[in-house]
Amino acid sequence: MIKPSVCFAEMYRIKVLIWTRYLFHRGVWGRFMKKNVIFNIVIYLAVFLILLPLTVLILWGFSKRWPWPYVLPTEYSLRGVAYFLTGTGNSIKILLYSIGLSFVVTVITLVISVPAARALGLYEFKGKGFFKLFVLLPLIISPVAVGIGIQVFFIKIGLANTFLGVVVVHLIPCLPYGIRILTNVFEVLGESMEFQARTLGASKTQTFFYVTLPLISPGLISAAGLVFIVSFSQYFLTFIVGGGNVITLSMVMFPFIQSGDRMIASCYSIVFIVATLILLIVIEKRVKAYYTVENHFYI
Amino acid sequence: MKKEIKPYILLLPAAIVLLGILTSGIVIALSQSLGYMPIIGLRELTLKYYVSIITDKGFLESLKFSLNISLFSSVIAVIVGVALAYSMLINKHRKSIEKILYILPIIVPHMVAAFLMFNILSQSGLLPRVLYYLGILKAQSDFPSLIFDRYGVGIVICYIWKEIPFVAMVVYTFISNINESLEEVAVNLGASRRQFFWYVMLPLSWPSIISSFIIIFAFSFGAFEVPYLIGPTTPKTLPVKAFIEYTNPDILNRPYAMALNVVLAFISLIIVWIYDKTLSLFCRNV
Repeated sequence: MIKPSVCFAEMYRIKVLIWTRYLFHRGVWGRFMKKNVIFNIVIYLAVFLILLPLTVLILWGFSKRWPWPYVLPTEYSLRGVAYFLTGTGNSIKILLYSIGLSFVVTVITLVISVPAARALGLYEFKGKGFFKLFVLLPLIISPVAVGIGIQVFFIKIGLANTFLGVVVVHLIPCLPYGIRILTNVFEVLGESMEFQARTLGASKTQTFFYVTLPLISPGLISAAGLVFIVSFSQYFLTFIVGGGNVITLSMVMFPFIQSGDRMIASCYSIVFIVATLILLIVIEKRVKAYYTVENHFYI
Repeated sequence: MKKEIKPYILLLPAAIVLLGILTSGIVIALSQSLGYMPIIGLRELTLKYYVSIITDKGFLESLKFSLNISLFSSVIAVIVGVALAYSMLINKHRKSIEKILYILPIIVPHMVAAFLMFNILSQSGLLPRVLYYLGILKAQSDFPSLIFDRYGVGIVICYIWKEIPFVAMVVYTFISNINESLEEVAVNLGASRRQFFWYVMLPLSWPSIISSFIIIFAFSFGAFEVPYLIGPTTPKTLPVKAFIEYTNPDILNRPYAMALNVVLAFISLIIVWIYDKTLSLFCRNV
């Protein structure tokens, strides 16, 4: 009598054989072998390691009880969601407030970035290299080192603990991204289209609104997305300049993470990530409507 | 408008904002660190706060701790990131879904990333649970806590998780724009895939690799949230130490905290300088 396990193994072997034949026949197998398997492993490992912590986050967000040593929660509940929607924390209002603040920051950043990027992307002038490095400076210099000094300065001029103060200080980490992305856009576009328009008799304002702006708008949208995310996820600068008066989502979230209230912290984190993701996808769609911009990472 | 001054005028708003806010912050920190605080009656300029920093063992420990964390996390992130970018280049066919996946860690803010690592690596996290389930661990306390630990393992892993996709995306953007015919030429001349990587791809992508390395190194060196949330009480990283000294209610401690900030800013400036030098060096070679 054949043991069931052997039988199963035999069946499995035949199944694999058939499948291999099939794949080979279809050419899929051949194509798969040609691509180096190691590279596939690297990619799938990366995807796994990226998704694992996020999956745990979602589980925590919807768990009621998850005691040691269970690998999965023992009970699920929607308490975290309920807390977010109805809670005393006014979470929805804070979320909208954060979005509003980051929106204002994004608009101001873009308004300042466009001319600067134009200068860096189109013209040759003395000190260009220095300026290019200079606009990257805020990315490299420690936010703690400048933030604390800025707080003291803002207290003196009355900007500390105000909405305006936080907006101004958010410009510091946001401007490098805006300027870098738009500089690239201007470098690629060049000036020829504007010259065309000017030769055909368009005024400077007309050229800007009917030629330049439509041309740079995909880049503008990409830059807006990135700048928005940078502002939206800012904690330290908001905290030190806003001083508890300007309350963004990051500000509410931080204490929960610090105290280790996993369920509520997870819920806030999920809302944070989902909000950003929705925004990014919308932007991606808008950009695709113009033309395919391959990547946002020009830095 | 004269052609020569036009770029400067266009740059003016950005320069005013950046220069104005940054320098005001640094100037205030500098003056207070030199002991100039008229409000509490300190007017004499002195270097004693800097001397006390440099001779302080805690400062050197913090500096070493910060540099170690940044160096380890950035080196690992760059190596793995480049490998990932190269793998993505070879497997060109599927893109959109992975692109979203790689963007995920980039959009997750640092404090959430720290929280994710806490959920996995702490003694009540997922990793010890899985190990216990598999019978490798006998008890919860057998698991070495990787969060709040002396060596900052949790911080390093957190930065690596966030930075690998960033490096991969930057390098991928760069190498995917490298002319495809270069590969054909190399293969035509008899280069293996490995040779193509080492002798063509890598030398060409040095600028993107270096600049992403410097950016993540500087960022992890100066960042506050992650070491504050999942770092050990001692040693503290330099930014955390600077912030805690600053929040000390004794105002006489203020110049000391500001001196720490100035040192922090100074180190960041050195990093910028190194960035500029190495980049121009490599770009010239290419």
